[in-house]
Amino acid sequence: MYKGKERKGSSSEWRDAFWNPRTHELLGRTASSWGLILLFYLVFYLFLAGMFVLTMYIMLLTLDDYKPTWQDRLATPGMMIHPKGDQLEITFSVSETESWDRFTQTLNTFLSPYNDSYQVQMNDNCPPDQFFIQEDSGEVRNNPKRSCQFNRSMLEECAGISDRFYGYSRGQPCVLIKLNRVIGMLPGKNGQSPYVTCGAKREDGDKLGPLAYYPPNGTFNLMYYPYYGKKAQVNYTQPLVAVKFLNASVNTDINVECKINSNTLEAGSERDKFAGRVSFKLRINHT
Amino acid sequence: MGADRSPKKKKGGTKDMDDLKKEVPITEHKMSIEEVCRKFNTDIVQGLTNAKAAEYLIRDGPNALTPPPTTPEWVKFCRQLFGGFSILLWTGAILCFLAYAIQAATEDEPAGDNLYLGIVLTAVVVITGCFSYFQEAKSSKIMESFKNMVPQQALVIREGEKVTINAEEVVGGDLIEVKGGDRIPADIRVVSAHGCKVDNSSLTGESEPQSRSPDCTHDNPLETRNVAFFSTNCVEGTARGIVICTGDRTVMGRIATLTSGLETGKTPIAKEIEHFIHIITGVAVFLGVTFFILAIILGYSWLEAVIFLIGIIVANVPEGLLATVTVCLTLTAKRMAKKNCLVKNLEAVETLGSTSTICSDKTGTLTQNRMTVAHMWFDNQIHEADTTEDQSGASFDKSSVTWLSLARVAGLCNRAQFKAGQDSLPILKRDVAGDASESALLKCIELSCGSVRAMRDRNKKVAEIPFNSTNKYQLSVHETEDPNDNRYLLVMKGAPERILDRCTTILVQGKEQPMDEELKEAFQNAYMELGGLGERVLGFCHVLLPEDQYPKGFAFDTEDVNFQTDNLCFVGLMSMIDPPRAAVPDAVIMVTGDHPITAKAIAKGVGIISEGNETVEDIAARLNIPVSQVNPRDAKACVVHGTDLKDLSQDQMDDILRNHTEIVFARTSPQQKLIIVEGCQRLGAIVAVTGDGVNDSPALKKADIGVAMGISGSDVSKQAADMILLDDNFASIVTGVEEGRLIFDNLKKSIAYTLTSNIPEITPFLFFIIVNIPLPLGTITILCIDLGTDMVPAISLAYETAESDIMKRQPRNPARDKLVNERLISIAYGQIGMIQALGGFFAYFVILAENGFLPSRLVGIRLNWDDRSTNDLEDSYGQQWTYEQRKIVEFTCHTAFFVSIVVVQWADVIICKTRRNSVFQQGMRNKILIFGLFEETALAAFLSYCPGMDVALRMYPLKPSWWFCAFPYSFLIFVYDEIRKLLLRRNPGGWVERETYY
Repeated sequence: MYKGKERKGSSSEWRDAFWNPRTHELLGRTASSWGLILLFYLVFYLFLAGMFVLTMYIMLLTLDDYKPTWQDRLATPGMMIHPKGDQLEITFSVSETESWDRFTQTLNTFLSPYNDSYQVQMNDNCPPDQFFIQEDSGEVRNNPKRSCQFNRSMLEECAGISDRFYGYSRGQPCVLIKLNRVIGMLPGKNGQSPYVTCGAKREDGDKLGPLAYYPPNGTFNLMYYPYYGKKAQVNYTQPLVAVKFLNASVNTDINVECKINSNTLEAGSERDKFAGRVSFKLRINHT
Repeated sequence: MGADRSPKKKKGGTKDMDDLKKEVPITEHKMSIEEVCRKFNTDIVQGLTNAKAAEYLIRDGPNALTPPPTTPEWVKFCRQLFGGFSILLWTGAILCFLAYAIQAATEDEPAGDNLYLGIVLTAVVVITGCFSYFQEAKSSKIMESFKNMVPQQALVIREGEKVTINAEEVVGGDLIEVKGGDRIPADIRVVSAHGCKVDNSSLTGESEPQSRSPDCTHDNPLETRNVAFFSTNCVEGTARGIVICTGDRTVMGRIATLTSGLETGKTPIAKEIEHFIHIITGVAVFLGVTFFILAIILGYSWLEAVIFLIGIIVANVPEGLLATVTVCLTLTAKRMAKKNCLVKNLEAVETLGSTSTICSDKTGTLTQNRMTVAHMWFDNQIHEADTTEDQSGASFDKSSVTWLSLARVAGLCNRAQFKAGQDSLPILKRDVAGDASESALLKCIELSCGSVRAMRDRNKKVAEIPFNSTNKYQLSVHETEDPNDNRYLLVMKGAPERILDRCTTILVQGKEQPMDEELKEAFQNAYMELGGLGERVLGFCHVLLPEDQYPKGFAFDTEDVNFQTDNLCFVGLMSMIDPPRAAVPDAVIMVTGDHPITAKAIAKGVGIISEGNETVEDIAARLNIPVSQVNPRDAKACVVHGTDLKDLSQDQMDDILRNHTEIVFARTSPQQKLIIVEGCQRLGAIVAVTGDGVNDSPALKKADIGVAMGISGSDVSKQAADMILLDDNFASIVTGVEEGRLIFDNLKKSIAYTLTSNIPEITPFLFFIIVNIPLPLGTITILCIDLGTDMVPAISLAYETAESDIMKRQPRNPARDKLVNERLISIAYGQIGMIQALGGFFAYFVILAENGFLPSRLVGIRLNWDDRSTNDLEDSYGQQWTYEQRKIVEFTCHTAFFVSIVVVQWADVIICKTRRNSVFQQGMRNKILIFGLFEETALAAFLSYCPGMDVALRMYPLKPSWWFCAFPYSFLIFVYDEIRKLLLRRNPGGWVERETYY
């Protein structure tokens, strides 16, 4: 009725569990048993991988090459500043060159594709204040699509041409503002271009001082829209707005918020601090 | 006596055993009454003085049993709070708080994620802990209803006056009086008695009431007549005695204390769950530590590595599983309670299912507990009566004159009668007032000869001597049916040999013949044959008293018998049996107080000793050789005499248990029962013991599952048992076995189902860490699966019906057949879980791709993706995303991954319904499971679409098409498993079964 358990020392039991010399079992299985089960799992996982690849392939076939299936999460385009600083904090000392040197360096790099010579060579001089629409005619793709020139010189004081330190050396820093690219987005109507306004947040109002926007009024001209995606519109040049802080208070943190003003874009949700607006901290140290 | 007080704290079973085996240390029965009085400073007439009584009460304490030590409630609660997976989850929660504290100390605006997760984890542990605690508390509450503590009263004589006091205040030396119907308040030395009889059944198992008198009749205090024991009942008469032991020092108290001191092991299911927790914890800790180290090597910060660790712990622990198991066990316990099988300890629900041995006595448990007349002997011939429950069996010639005489004797000399108001019921189903054998006779006569009441009315009873153990007969004198016949009819029944002694003639074919040697031998043969069948045989005789000696109106004096009780005419024999139950499990060891011959006969009757199997003695008899020459290995069956048991060594005992498939222990004392239980357990068997007496309590407690009788059981035995049969019906045990096996199977299915979803929960973290993709599944969604959608389907599997006849199966071998084995893990983790993970990942990639992030773009994107200050992250189409925008997409992916797991779990719950059969064979009749499918889907939809969920749980509405991403994988799971089960059925014992049948 009962199969008595054989009493063994626990140490030898453990050793047997790893390698049993009598039955030639490694971890409780013989070589052929291991071989079979590993072969099974190999075949099984290869099959699964095949199935996964197949479903992924079918899914990718359903995608459009030029436009993502869903864009509802991008209803309000994000905004971003350049230079980004460290965690969106632009802190520098006017007197210490190395404290702002990296900002001017990145601005130089960032703006190099905007050089007038390059833009003129690559892009079109489009009629302003109207959308630059290049529709496909049915199945025939109208590619590659052309892009409009955004010349570095349009940023005037902040172009880094007349002042190659972008005002950082004089405590009048320039910050570039860009509106995130969203395929097919039309950010205005009736010829009114969206424009950027900046202000100080909360109690920092009086510290901000006067601002200057380039291009004038801080507009993103309608001719740069719509965007057709990086595959169709290879040379797209993202329009910029430069904000120059002419007389910001020194030695204090200023919380700045810039936002887009448009007659078509929805206001972003309260949760998203970067949809249709951008916040950053500015601190100019001056001794 | 005070010195003999049993120590309260016992270390182990062996010491208890020795203690128990010791003779009961009562010597008072051998002392004269004067000596006893002297010992207790009491007086045989006046009793104790009040002052002395008070002094003794303070010295010895109240006369009550110390209740068994109970675990304080808060300890039980803490056990629930810190047992099982709780430790892992606590670790997770503490790590969360630690991570939050570090963040709070180093960052200006720390993200609350870790704090929330810590709080959620704590809540999960506390809530599941509370849940399990209340479930446990509920089942233990049922027990309290048994403690109907009606304060016992006792009549004591103190300072010469009779006073009624609480039984608790009785002290040693008290002079007390008991009368019929009283419960004896303490162990007493009888001083004087008048027809006093006590029922010792709760103590010794003897059901016959025994008379008490002041004389010492036996050296053994349990056998002598001048001691009456605490908590036994006085059935009739009165007695006066001196209290010699009170409270825990009484014989009953000693057994009760010993019982509560016995340590019991964990239940098999508790061991299984522990084993399973070890596996899961091992995997969790291994993976957690590996990836913690890996994360550090890959250059993640300590904080990130800790957060990964938390994620892996949360993903690895099936948070809801222990609650599911508790619910499943509770459901089964409730189902069993409906069938009159009350389970005291939830975990004991399963134990009966894995029971490999049942130690049972025959009375009422293996048999129908319904005495029935089986055979009759008259006219020198044995006739068979019908014993089947539905009266479909054989019949006999009822026209014989002898039979009519026999029926008249059996009907008249019988004090049993039907209870009123049952005329509509079939005779066999009617309740009878009277003892078992008289009831059997009554029913038999009623069935074959019509109303016994009418017969008794026609033959008015004029005198009666009830059965007693000295006479061993019962007689009554009646008027005859014929009004012209003024003779009296004397009828008598009793032990056949005693009856025969009083007879000089015998009735054959209706004619009285002198009893000659030939007829006597025929009688002897019949008696032996019927006795050999394990039946209780009664003899019947009658005589018509001569009218000249006993004229009408003769005053029959039953006290001082003034009439003829010999020279009677023998009529016949009737034998009764308690028929065996149809469904007695195979592995039953019979432990009985009966004589070996009777025990063997019954064992053969109920199939404990199956046909064709022989004992050593049988072989010896067949081969006509001495018993000593028979090879004991040849005998599969064996009957062991209790007294032999005492002399057996442990090895010999093991040898008997191991080498015989069919064992009967006869004439066993309760102490020996304990030895038998321990012997079986030593051999790795899971032992169930049934019993009702106090003396069975140690065995009940020691057994893996003790089954006590609800009606006939004593309080102490119920206290010691794990399960109580409310209707004393052995068929309930069979139900218990069935339910236990079913719940074990279904728990496997439930666990396989729940564990499967662990893989799609863990893999996202692993890929997140290794390939640096955005996190596909968050910790909150993991908790939603484990504690939300998986719960009802997992519980519904407990309602699954058996796939095959589970009663035909061998009991599971606890060493090999685990609840969670490597095959279950292989299927759940290695196969189905992997398919599920792919389903989830597919949905994840679909959503990201349709939003613009193609898979190629995702690899390595994690650092930028999770950077709050990067708000212009570029996707595959050149669009730019803010942190919040892409996080919404990520959380939508979490939701889709979650929904995909629900979708693949549909298929999983359907394949988990069966382990071998096809779903098409099993059907979808489990309504709870269907409900579960809808419930989890509805819950998933609710979590995804309910407004506010984006803020509360960060779950977002899904586009309808995203629900279908996992459908191919769900379908694959179903097809794959059906094919697997098909191969499994086609090739029994083949590779598929060896590797995948869990």
